[in-house]
Amino acid sequence: MTNVDARGKSCPLPIVLTARAVRQVAVGESIVVLADDRAFLPDIEAWCKKTGHALVQAQSKDGHFEAVVRRAL
Amino acid sequence: MDGDHGTDALDARLRAFDAELANLRARVTELQAASANAPKAAQGQEDKLSLIVFSGTLDRLIAAFVLATGAAAMGMQVSMFFTFWATAGLRQDARQLKKTLLERAFGWMLPKGARRLPLSHMNMAGGGPLMIRHVMKQKGVASVEEMMTLSAELGVSIYVCTMSMDLLGMKEAEMIEYPGLSYCGVAKFLETAAPGKLTLFV
Repeated sequence: MTNVDARGKSCPLPIVLTARAVRQVAVGESIVVLADDRAFLPDIEAWCKKTGHALVQAQSKDGHFEAVVRRAL
Repeated sequence: MDGDHGTDALDARLRAFDAELANLRARVTELQAASANAPKAAQGQEDKLSLIVFSGTLDRLIAAFVLATGAAAMGMQVSMFFTFWATAGLRQDARQLKKTLLERAFGWMLPKGARRLPLSHMNMAGGGPLMIRHVMKQKGVASVEEMMTLSAELGVSIYVCTMSMDLLGMKEAEMIEYPGLSYCGVAKFLETAAPGKLTLFV
C-alpha cells in the first residue's frame, strides 16, 4: 500500500505531501512514501526528527526511495 | 592544658568548616536553580519561520515559497511579510480601480502578479521566466501558483506591508485571494517574528 507517490516530484513536495498524508491516518499507523528526489533520504530523516514521527524504514528500491513513516501524535 | 587548647582550636576549625560547607551547599542549590532555568529560557523560542519577502523576482519568490511550504510541513508556524517589489507578485490582473496618475504609471510598470515576474538572473527580456517555468514543470518542481495554494492549505500566513502598497500605488482590491491575507506595518512583523527561531530576508 502506497500513501504518497512523490516520484517525479521535487523538493519540497515529497515532505509537504508526506506531512499532509500522515495527518490522514490514525496515531500509530504507518504510511508508505515513494520518491526519487535525491534530497529525499536526508529530508525525510530530518522531517521525522523534527516532527517526532517515526521513520520505520527508508531504503533505495528499484531506482527510487521508499520510506515507511509511523504517525506518533 | 595543651590538650584542651588543641580541642578548642579543632572545634573552631570544625565550626568554620561547617559554616563553609553550608555556604557551598547554598551556592550549589543556587546554581542548580539557575541552570534549571537556563534551558527553559532557550526553549521559550517559538518554532516559527518568518520571511521578509522583498524581491520582485520569480526565482526569489520560488525560494521563499519552497522555504515556507517546507517549514509548514515540518510543523513550524510560518509568516511571510511581503514588502516593496515583492508585493507586485501578489497582484492579480488589475480591475478598473480609481488611481492617481502616478499610481497608474506604477501599475503599468510593475509586474501584474507572480505570472509576470522577471528572473533576477538570465531574464532575457522575459524569455528566462518562461524557460524556468518550463524546466520546473519538466523536473517536477511545483509552480509558484501551486506553492501558494499549498501554503494556504498548510496555514502559512501572508502579511502585506501597507507602506509599500501606498508607495507603489497598489490597492487591496487588486491583491490575490488568499485565506487570511492581511495588511500590516513593521510593528506587526516585529511582534510576530521576534519570539521566533528563524527570520530570513528574501
